[in-house]
Amino acid sequence: MKRRDEVLVGILITVGLVVGVLGTIWLVRGGFSSGYPLYARFKWGAGVKQGQPVRLAGVQIGVVSDVELDPSGTILVKMTVEDDYHVPRNSKAAVVPVGIFGDQEIALIPDEPSMVFFNEGDSVPPAPPTPGIPELTARADTISQRLDDVAKTVQLELVAGGGIADLRKTLAATNELTRQLSGIAAEQSRQLAATLTRFRSTAAAIDSVQLDSTVRNLQQTTRNLAQFTDSLGATTHQLNLVLSKLDKGDGTLGRLLNDPGLYYDFRRLSSRLDSLTLDFKKNPKRYINLEIF
Amino acid sequence: MTFGAHYEHRPTEAFPVMQRTGIKFFRRVARAGRGIFAGVGQRAFFVRDVFRAFSEPGTWGGETIRQMRNIGVDSVPLVMIVAGFLGAVTAFQAFYQLFAGVQLSVLGLLVRGSIVLELGPLLTALVLTGRVGARMTAEIGTMRVTEQIDALETLAYDPIAFLVVPRLLAALVMLPVLVTIANATAIVTAWITLITATTATTSDYVTGLRLSFVPFQVIYSVIKAVCFGGAIAVLCSYEGYVTSAGAEGVGRSTAKAVVIASTSILVLDAIVAAMFAQFIAAG
Repeated sequence: MKRRDEVLVGILITVGLVVGVLGTIWLVRGGFSSGYPLYARFKWGAGVKQGQPVRLAGVQIGVVSDVELDPSGTILVKMTVEDDYHVPRNSKAAVVPVGIFGDQEIALIPDEPSMVFFNEGDSVPPAPPTPGIPELTARADTISQRLDDVAKTVQLELVAGGGIADLRKTLAATNELTRQLSGIAAEQSRQLAATLTRFRSTAAAIDSVQLDSTVRNLQQTTRNLAQFTDSLGATTHQLNLVLSKLDKGDGTLGRLLNDPGLYYDFRRLSSRLDSLTLDFKKNPKRYINLEIF
Repeated sequence: MTFGAHYEHRPTEAFPVMQRTGIKFFRRVARAGRGIFAGVGQRAFFVRDVFRAFSEPGTWGGETIRQMRNIGVDSVPLVMIVAGFLGAVTAFQAFYQLFAGVQLSVLGLLVRGSIVLELGPLLTALVLTGRVGARMTAEIGTMRVTEQIDALETLAYDPIAFLVVPRLLAALVMLPVLVTIANATAIVTAWITLITATTATTSDYVTGLRLSFVPFQVIYSVIKAVCFGGAIAVLCSYEGYVTSAGAEGVGRSTAKAVVIASTSILVLDAIVAAMFAQFIAAG
């Protein structure tokens, strides 16, 4: 029994140690294969951390195994690349954001397919940095600066320039106006109430019999108006017929109106009358021969 | 008769009710404070006796392996079951609290951080408090009330070297092992849960597991486990060692031991976090 206990305890401790050590190695090195190192340099503030993935054309081929801060203004990043993968020599390394919360990864971007590869321990040249959170932050700073300017202008105009005092005066005047309007409204309301009261009393005083008689008279008048309207309509209709006949030239009057010969006869007659009148004025004696005695 | 002497001899019941209530309140506070400090001091003396007992390896050597078996090997199934569900629950919680735009590799980071740094050691220790600590108290307490400990002393055996030191050593060694197994189990079950029940992939999870990992995080987990193991063994053994009043006393001691050990584990958790948390962040 005691021997069995020793064996079981030994197995458990060994398993615990193996799990702990191998798990740690697996997490630190990105797997149990040793891989080979490649290096890259980036500017300070690139956001590179140990454990971040290294991708070649979108495929994860390793992890960042170490990051060293160089006082010269760069960070030296050691990437452990799995033995199965080879990085084309024309590749460039860039720190690219993953997601929207500032996490980063290292992207190895080859210019074109190549069969010439980096060797163990080589340095991958850096690619031009992509716009990331710092650039967005700088843009936000610019916007913030402009907002600050606007705020200063507002402060200058409203505070230093007395704008707020004016605004307060305006508000006070508005309040006064509102108060007066309220008073007027209250007075009008009071008067309206009084008018309504009078109207109600007047309406109550109207004799319903007289009202009924008036209504009947109104109805009779309306009926009379309707008859008159009917008569007027009939008269209009007959007038229309007469006018129609006139227009067509029917009847004597129609012929008179529509016969152009009569018109020209009248014109000739008028013209002759004019000539006669002129002649009469010029030679009255021709027409009037007054002899007395 | 001095002024003070006049008050000394005046019975408390003759005081006005407010004054009497205040005096009783402060007496109780003083008694409770004295009890707390006395308890800490008694346990400190107990720890001193435990360290003294290490000088008798012949007494504790043989028993230690048996206790390792009891505390460690026999607890593996329970620890793995608890850790398995812990990993699954942590993975689900992490996944369903993510919102759009967050990369899924965060899941691995969250699961690793939650389990290795906090939940793995803490829940394992709390579970073992119930299983192992209660057993320690009950065993030693029963030996106390049945006078077996007195018999050991009569036979010139140091009872602490024979009963407490093996349990302490076993807990100090086995808790880290169990916590390591629990961490690994939880991480594996979290992975299985994520790839089977969610849209996360193995690549996402593994990327997150490795992100910002520093080996000290594992050591931090082991440090917690050692502290929790020591607390369980010492506190539960002490409660058993001072048990009195027969079977009822054993039950009372066992319940008290579980409560004190659980609370102490949480306090130790906070202390270890305050001491070492600054070292677990990756650069």
